[in-house]
Amino acid sequence: MFAAGLKCPGCGSSNIVDDDLYCQAQLVCVDCGTVVSEGTLADDPVGGTDVSYSRTTAVTKKPCLNLIKGLERVKEMCRILRLNGEIEDLALTYFRQAYQQESFINVTLQRKEVLAGCCVYVSCRQRNWPITLGTISSLLDADQTLVGGVYQEMIKILNIQAPFINIADVIGAHVQEYKISAQHVTKELAEDSKVLTKRAVALVELAGDSWIVTGRRPLPIMMAATYLAWQSLNPNKHRLRLSLDKFCHLAKVQKRNPAVTRITELKEVLCKLGRELPWVRETVTQDDVVRLVGDILEHRHTLLTRALRTHETAMQADCSQASALNFPTEEVAPSQRSESRDQTADASSVVQLCPTDRMENQEGDDSHQTEDPEPNWGKRVLFAPPCVIHAKRRREEPPVLNVTGDEEISDSEIDSYIRTPQEARDFALMQKAVSSSDSGNS
Amino acid sequence: MDDLALERYFDDSIANDPSYMVEEELDLQNSLKESHASSTNSQNSSNLLGETETSGRLSNDLDLSFLPDDLGNQSSTTTVLATAATNQNAELDVLEDSGINLDDNLHDMAAVKCQVTVNLGSESNASPFCPMTPMTPMTPMTPMTPMTPVTEKSGIIPQLQNIVSTVNLGCPLDLKFIALQARNAEYNPKRFAAVIMRIREPRTTALIFSSGKMVCTGAKSEEESRLAARKYARVVQKLGFPARFLDFKIQNMVASCDVCFPIRLEGLVLTHQQFSSYEPELFPGLIYRMVKPRIVLLIFVSGKVVLTGAKERAEIYEAFENIYPILKGFRKQ
Repeated sequence: MFAAGLKCPGCGSSNIVDDDLYCQAQLVCVDCGTVVSEGTLADDPVGGTDVSYSRTTAVTKKPCLNLIKGLERVKEMCRILRLNGEIEDLALTYFRQAYQQESFINVTLQRKEVLAGCCVYVSCRQRNWPITLGTISSLLDADQTLVGGVYQEMIKILNIQAPFINIADVIGAHVQEYKISAQHVTKELAEDSKVLTKRAVALVELAGDSWIVTGRRPLPIMMAATYLAWQSLNPNKHRLRLSLDKFCHLAKVQKRNPAVTRITELKEVLCKLGRELPWVRETVTQDDVVRLVGDILEHRHTLLTRALRTHETAMQADCSQASALNFPTEEVAPSQRSESRDQTADASSVVQLCPTDRMENQEGDDSHQTEDPEPNWGKRVLFAPPCVIHAKRRREEPPVLNVTGDEEISDSEIDSYIRTPQEARDFALMQKAVSSSDSGNS
Repeated sequence: MDDLALERYFDDSIANDPSYMVEEELDLQNSLKESHASSTNSQNSSNLLGETETSGRLSNDLDLSFLPDDLGNQSSTTTVLATAATNQNAELDVLEDSGINLDDNLHDMAAVKCQVTVNLGSESNASPFCPMTPMTPMTPMTPMTPMTPVTEKSGIIPQLQNIVSTVNLGCPLDLKFIALQARNAEYNPKRFAAVIMRIREPRTTALIFSSGKMVCTGAKSEEESRLAARKYARVVQKLGFPARFLDFKIQNMVASCDVCFPIRLEGLVLTHQQFSSYEPELFPGLIYRMVKPRIVLLIFVSGKVVLTGAKERAEIYEAFENIYPILKGFRKQ
């Protein structure tokens, strides 16, 4: 093609051709072959092209680098967790969707990585693959609260629902982490993971029935269940002597502090059931119960019904005793007392208490009752959530005022909130003194 | 509502009138009719004096403007007393709701009720009883939560714990000056661009901004919140600003209550998945977002329920009545 308006400096002809053969476009004279200009490289605007990257079509053609990295991270995590292709695809879809959203596009790289983890988590839950948020947090090496926050936001933005995962499903995966098989530890301490899983599942189910699991973090409960299962499968002196600390050290698992309380709570429940075993003569204490765990778990349903029945009869006996001593009090008109008279025990029975029982509380420990007019129903049932049994003491609330909102406001009251001129002067001086000393020090 | 006070009240009335049954309004009226039939000539001049005394006391306490203007003589006054008694009973329930100790009030009530039964016995003409039939609608002047039988409703009333309200004082404010002149104010502009002021009665906190807008938090009832906001406005007024009290609005109400039985949160999240969110790893309670009314409930395993997001008290009560049957369903798993 002819470049108009140019004259060759060599021969003066106007036959200038745009030569695109080489990478650099050149204007060459056809007649004499001199290169007229070749300066597109030098003529490039300083500081990049006029059009920014985000406005070019390259944006839509080539995806953002962080998006690609994020997708890679998702794939990587799926591979580590050995998830199947379906979950991986779902996670990738979610990540692509979430990444474009406002709250995830201009955030720190760490947050984007956490988003990748959350997509994997949601996909697992939707396909019923048991996994905990704790696992994802440890994979991402991020704080669980941060992961939780990103997860909640992502759920809200994508408008998806994740079905609830049962702890009994997760514990199988959890037990796999413990390096407690024959190849890792001595014979006395070793345990096959399948057997261990089975017993741990039974323990967790029992914990679920007796209100230990609801509302609590699952990991410490799983740890407690695994520990007790391991101890009870072969309750020799080696195992019984090993504390949770040492056990976690042995199994190369990080110990969780709440697990200690969970162990105590589980043992309490086991004791309550152990008492119902007909072939046990002496009283069951926390130390002995480990040996009986096998039997307890095997017959736990029968033991549960027996324990509830025993508790019920004990309650009735106490109730009739109390009513014999009390004057009959009138039933109070509709209030919350009507509900507190009923109680839930567990799978089978509901125990009805006599109304006079409300005023008395025959279980010891009245120190919690004295300030609290509401009787602690948790102390009257066999199984109750531990937060109810050990209820926190409320501080004294000031009595509710009976005001109309339009009363007269006394001047003296308002004046009590205003400084006297002398006070104000002193305060101003003091502030100046403090600020000057601060600026002097800093 | 103090249990022991209520017990004492009932004990008093029982001691004074053996045939007295205090369950509901209707029962009250029935028993009054019975006592009329059974009581003998127990009146004397001192009784009549007592009656006028109580009526005097009553007129101080009660708003009787709903009664017809032309009252007759003795019969009408007994009607007045009777209806006043039931009205007082209704008030009692309202006050019970807001949890007040009515110790002295109750003894008055007990005395009044005795007088009423005695006076009704003294009446020879049976006509005063017409207004006393259960069919007569007694229109209470004070707004009250309806007295409903326990079997239908839960019988539990959520207690308000916190009210957040806003008001516009209508003039720009000098926060530095306020922080200097007021005893109960704190102001740290580097941390937050408002003065934090507190008053003792009602125990509340206010955030006062330089634009003149104010947020008042911590009150336990709508009236308390309004009174507190007015007190803050008065303080600002006293400091020399032309403060007014414009657009007072309650923005949020928080209430809590206890159903007294444990709740299977796992079950609840399975059946009400569209409304609930239960993540034990993040928060121990279940977050239930009710659609009608638009209230968020935090439900815990112990049976305690926290309701928030309401602009009106009725929304909270409605939300709780909606959730209670659902929770009862999860009592026996």
